[in-house]
Amino acid sequence: MNRLARSLSLALLLAGTATAQKVSLTYLHGFTGPDRPVMEALIKKFNDTHPNIEVRGQAQPWGTTWQQLPALVASGRAPDVVVINEDQITGFIARGALTPLTAPEMKTAGLDKNKFFGPLFKTADYKGQSYGVPISSVAYVMFYNKDLMRKVGLDPNKPPRTRAEFLRAAQLCTVDKSGKNATQAGFDPKNLDTWGVSLYNNWVGARAAYAAILQNGGAMTDRNQNAAFNSPQAVSAVQFLVDLVQKHGVARPNATEEAELAAFSQGKVCMFPSGQWYLDRFESQKMNFGVTFMPRVGGSVRDAAWGGSSHLTLPRQPASYSAAKRRAALEFMAWMAQPEQNLAWTATGSLPTQAAVAGNPRFETAAISGIFDRLNNVYATSGFPWVGQVMGPFDAAWEAAYLGKKPVAKALNDGVAEANKQIEQARKNFR
Amino acid sequence: MTTTQAPATHAPPGTRRRGSLEPYLYLLPHAALFFMFTVYPIGYGLYISLHRWDLLNNTQTFVGTEFFRNLFTSGTPQFEFFWRTLWNTTFFTLVSVPLLVAAALGLAALLHRPIFGRTFFRAVFFMPGILTVSVMGILWRWMFDNQIGLVNAARDLMTGAPPIAWLSTEGLAWVPIVVGTIWWTVGFNMTLYLAAMSNIPHSLYEAAALDGATGTQQFRFITWPMLTPITLFVVITTALASFQLFGQSLVITNGGPTRSTQSVIQYITEEGFTNSQISSAAAMGFVFGLMMLVLTAAQFRLMARDVQSAEEK
Repeated sequence: MNRLARSLSLALLLAGTATAQKVSLTYLHGFTGPDRPVMEALIKKFNDTHPNIEVRGQAQPWGTTWQQLPALVASGRAPDVVVINEDQITGFIARGALTPLTAPEMKTAGLDKNKFFGPLFKTADYKGQSYGVPISSVAYVMFYNKDLMRKVGLDPNKPPRTRAEFLRAAQLCTVDKSGKNATQAGFDPKNLDTWGVSLYNNWVGARAAYAAILQNGGAMTDRNQNAAFNSPQAVSAVQFLVDLVQKHGVARPNATEEAELAAFSQGKVCMFPSGQWYLDRFESQKMNFGVTFMPRVGGSVRDAAWGGSSHLTLPRQPASYSAAKRRAALEFMAWMAQPEQNLAWTATGSLPTQAAVAGNPRFETAAISGIFDRLNNVYATSGFPWVGQVMGPFDAAWEAAYLGKKPVAKALNDGVAEANKQIEQARKNFR
Repeated sequence: MTTTQAPATHAPPGTRRRGSLEPYLYLLPHAALFFMFTVYPIGYGLYISLHRWDLLNNTQTFVGTEFFRNLFTSGTPQFEFFWRTLWNTTFFTLVSVPLLVAAALGLAALLHRPIFGRTFFRAVFFMPGILTVSVMGILWRWMFDNQIGLVNAARDLMTGAPPIAWLSTEGLAWVPIVVGTIWWTVGFNMTLYLAAMSNIPHSLYEAAALDGATGTQQFRFITWPMLTPITLFVVITTALASFQLFGQSLVITNGGPTRSTQSVIQYITEEGFTNSQISSAAAMGFVFGLMMLVLTAAQFRLMARDVQSAEEK
């Protein structure tokens, strides 16, 4: 009897501790497309290998999350882990919606920021503290047509890296209907058969200008987080791109993204800078193309390309929030960011977040690996809370300059003036 | 006898039920929804527009009419873009409403007659309306693409003329938006006109024909006046819908080039959700909403007079 009671109470005790230890986490993310099953498989794998933690994933469109998160945080009902994208994250940090990941916490969880591509991890940093762990990344790259390059005497295995190489390639590739290229006398830019490079007016097109500005040592904002994309470095970098249309005639004026995409697919354009997300499309078309990092068109200060990313973050929780949940959430984040999981995630078309993954043999023959030598130079629009206020006017400035509606310096100055007026007002929200 | 039997009927109607809850209970479901989804949001929107509102802030600072004043203070981005996009929207309305009404009336006049394949054509013109704005937008963006668009290709084929940069030329960028909108929505107005036309007594036309009225005269003196009430309805609803221009310009031109086709609703959305200036966007919403109210009231008064005089004839 006594023994029975003792073993019974022991069993109860064990059961009790087991349920007490089992931590349940809610995890909100915006991977609602073809990437959703990949994310759900990863969550399942985590749950299967971590008996003490149960993560319940919830997918909903990004925009809905941006609208709901403030209300969820304010009412103390925020999910335990939320994925936030690079253009939103600093805004949420500045408004106090997220909590910093302290150095001891990261150490305990086994998160080593040095293993990630530097600028990518820094995307979620603000005022010296880290707020997020990158798990997904896209970037601006340059696709190029190997057949066209070979045809005009360029080595398709050595895509241009510098401004001079790039301009030369673009000029050789721009051929008019009589067969003359842009470097030859009698070249007729009005009657072209193939173009050197694609530029166009929408926000994706504006990301080439963003890269050029960073490459020339410019920046989008200054130390006070005011818009500053009208620095002399920025003007000179953007001027080079506009000259490709207006002076050199190697890029089409008035182009749209769709038209350039079609032209590149049909072998009418040599170089097509755009998001790496078009990779699938060109691969399925069986094109003979290469992918390289955006050449240094803006200047020679550094390599740079625009990139977008998604970060695992911990929202602000009420004071009663359990420490066990936070520990479990950090464990989940660290696990999700590990090379093995990140490698699995690249099946969605995401770029590796860390060198250990980029070095995987799986990528050896993949076209995308053409940019892996410079993945450490991918920069997001982040670090200032008013990304919309800066990038909106910037995209408009690029459009005006590219379409020839305004001289480059005026377009950028107008954009900065507009952005700074908007920022002045937005600042009042953060007092 | 009778007087003693029926005192209740002599009481004014409703007296017996004074204080009764019953009618209010019938009203309650609608009233509850009305308060929950109309009155309360309007009130809360007003509160938001008068504060520097951010759910994440512990204090929602009261700023009074600051965001309203921004709209009337030259030099602020809100002043510049609100009025510019309002003008864009007004321009769109001024161009598209007459076209939409005229095209709907014309199509209805054609398809009202017993022509061959009438049902088929009615369906053809009505069908685009069932598409979502994104499908319709992408379709017309492709049609008018500067380089690969069907319109430029047709021009090239027929006249050999160089392509027109529809999507990146200010002014011209309205063409795909207006044409697309007409294609998309004309069927609805057409259906309304068709219904109204079938309500006109046939005897009127017979009498007119006996008096020797031509087809044009019949339309001018019978059809058009008899359609005045439905025209009032069509003009007001079309104008209101046009002022709410959003999806078409968003998908076809994204408000470009250089904001020339950005609609006021698109700008309010940008201010609220891209710039995270919810209070400012709320203030704009109120000003714009008020304008729509005044406009509708004015239009109603103006055209109600026509309807009345048409009915008196």
